[in-house]
Amino acid sequence: MKKEDFNELAAEERDWIDAWIDETIEPEEFDLLQDRMMASPALRRIVRRYQGINHALQSIHIEADSATGPWLVKEEEAPDSTWKEKIVAFPVFIPMAAVAALAFFFGLGLMYVTRSVDPGNQATTGGEKPSASGFAVIERIFDPVWEAASVSRQEGDLLGAENFVLQSGTAEIQFFSGATMTVEGPAEIEVKSAWEAVCREGLVRMQVPPAARGFKLQAPSAEIVDLGTEFGLEVRAGVENVEVFDGEILLHRDGQEAKSMKKGASLALSPEGTDGKVNFPNDERFEERSIDQRKIDFDSWKTHRDSLAKDQRLIAYYTFDRNGSGSRIPNLAMPRKPDTDGTFILAEPVAGRWPGLKGALEFRRPGSRMRMNLPGEFSAFSFVCWVRVDSLDRQYNALFMGDGYENGEPHWQIREDGKMMLSVMIDDSRPNPEWPKSGDRFHRVYFSPPIWDLSNSGEWMHLASVFDPVGKAVSHYVNGEQVSSQEIEPLYQVTEFRIGNAEVGNWGLPFRSDPNFAIRNLNGRMDEIAIFDAALSEAEIADLYEKSRSARR
Amino acid sequence: MPEPENLSDPSDEHYEIFVQRFTRYEPDLRRFIGSLLPDWSDTDEVLQQTALVIWRKFDQYDPDTHFMKWACVIARFEALSYRRKMARDRLVFREELFELMADEGADEVSERRKELEALEVCLAEMPGKSRRFLTLAYTPGVKVKDMAEEAGSSAAAFYMRLKRLRRKLLSCVESKIQPVGNQG
Repeated sequence: MKKEDFNELAAEERDWIDAWIDETIEPEEFDLLQDRMMASPALRRIVRRYQGINHALQSIHIEADSATGPWLVKEEEAPDSTWKEKIVAFPVFIPMAAVAALAFFFGLGLMYVTRSVDPGNQATTGGEKPSASGFAVIERIFDPVWEAASVSRQEGDLLGAENFVLQSGTAEIQFFSGATMTVEGPAEIEVKSAWEAVCREGLVRMQVPPAARGFKLQAPSAEIVDLGTEFGLEVRAGVENVEVFDGEILLHRDGQEAKSMKKGASLALSPEGTDGKVNFPNDERFEERSIDQRKIDFDSWKTHRDSLAKDQRLIAYYTFDRNGSGSRIPNLAMPRKPDTDGTFILAEPVAGRWPGLKGALEFRRPGSRMRMNLPGEFSAFSFVCWVRVDSLDRQYNALFMGDGYENGEPHWQIREDGKMMLSVMIDDSRPNPEWPKSGDRFHRVYFSPPIWDLSNSGEWMHLASVFDPVGKAVSHYVNGEQVSSQEIEPLYQVTEFRIGNAEVGNWGLPFRSDPNFAIRNLNGRMDEIAIFDAALSEAEIADLYEKSRSARR
Repeated sequence: MPEPENLSDPSDEHYEIFVQRFTRYEPDLRRFIGSLLPDWSDTDEVLQQTALVIWRKFDQYDPDTHFMKWACVIARFEALSYRRKMARDRLVFREELFELMADEGADEVSERRKELEALEVCLAEMPGKSRRFLTLAYTPGVKVKDMAEEAGSSAAAFYMRLKRLRRKLLSCVESKIQPVGNQG
């Protein structure tokens, strides 16, 4: 049997295949490639194999994001030789590979979101232009002290062209070019672009991967151009020091020729500088604290989860953590009823609010959904979930939807303008008596004010809606705070509440006649949802939010 | 706002079987479709369409026959009609070649699976920096072209590096899937 390897192909064939994959192939070359492929089964097979690998690489981000992908695990277990070499040379400055990679992917995820914002869609979200763009994201913050509440920041905040001022504490800023800045306060950093920043004050460590080579950091008396490396900069009360931990930087100073500094070099930029004796932020310690904090948050959430599961008013409680590799999501409400477990289709298991510790389901693809059957009759509804919406692509974006939308069945969703909607079918056999000709079955939708725009993209939010037939009100909540409460008028009283077959993250089944209307997949992820046979009070919703949240929302 | 009437209630059992089979073979189907189309989002779209058709025709599926074979026939058809829709695209194979690729690809499902397993091993063996570069280059929505443009002068270097790493991975995969002693 002939060996069918890429390397056995003619050089031009190899180049054409690469050019085809990179979408840079010239029409004449593509014709030639196709002629050769028609003639050679081996060539066809190699193209399929190569393209298969190409596609698999395109899905890396999904795997990496789930934090359980083989790439991350392997890296944590066995740092490759490159890292090992570095460990020998510079023991202090080794980034903990796995965590750094996670941070890296997180930044990239945001880059994707900000880049994929289609300007054509912005008009639909209202008059104000959403501000989803940025040059960097605040990855982590520890023990921050702010000059004023107005300049305080949260982890996950995007930074545009603006100042970041930290009185004390440490922050990690991930630029969308791929560069990472760890900065210790007191600090004043001005972000100018994904490729440039100014440090007026602070202790800074920059890590610049090859893809971000050329990143510029401006110090008061010099400009540092990074040639793919790791370096530290201290700017404190007139003292300026720079130190190169790895790789090479170019130092530009007024009236002087650019000076190259290589691994191990340090320099006092100011007369009072003390080269080489600065204690730059140590990211290994930083990582450890970050992991500790996350673990503490996650453990406290687990305690909350276990106690909530015992709430007798629960109809269902899904936290999207899978048992093994199946597509089943258990209903955690006690006593356990396996018949009410959920099954997901096309939805993707991804990282939840604590990547690596907790899972979530993403409903990005049009057919994504989680289905379940919740039999019984109920006396009220409360829906509570943690959700991260990436964009509102559909006219209606499903949170939790009864299949047939028959009598007593709920529809909980977000409209494209960012308003939460909760409705329960009143009578599916007749039209709304107030608008008998509308063709609508008799139901009423209760809206919140807009609670989401593109600036919330990628942010975890706690959403809750309560249908209270006794208090005669429908209320909506965001992050534990009530955003609206509307009276249920006598005409719209609902007396029966049911669910039956239902879905999270989408509505209905794909055979419906009008897919544009029926497909309501939520472009985002959910990491827990609880459904109660009760109208939860304002205090209870606030309490659920407080107990289930983490330091980084 | 009008809500369309529920057409009919699907039998739960029927749906369960569909969900179970489809979920199980979805990655294979994706790889099959992916070997025919250059772009990831095209693959996504065809897969989506295939899922809808499979569900619509699911009552015609004989549970005693092989699901993947049956699904491949549908996926092949959907990929072909997608190809016709975007025939103007200069990166799409001409129809006779496309069909040939589809027919042969349908028989290579388990081969693709082995390659993917090998790829995971190869990626894990790769230096961390290379792996990160690949991840960056392959982040959806980030085209190498754009990355290169932002980085200015090193545009060609980006492509070269990407190409080199990808070829290296391919060689690594090939070395793992092809038995030694089979050369020549």
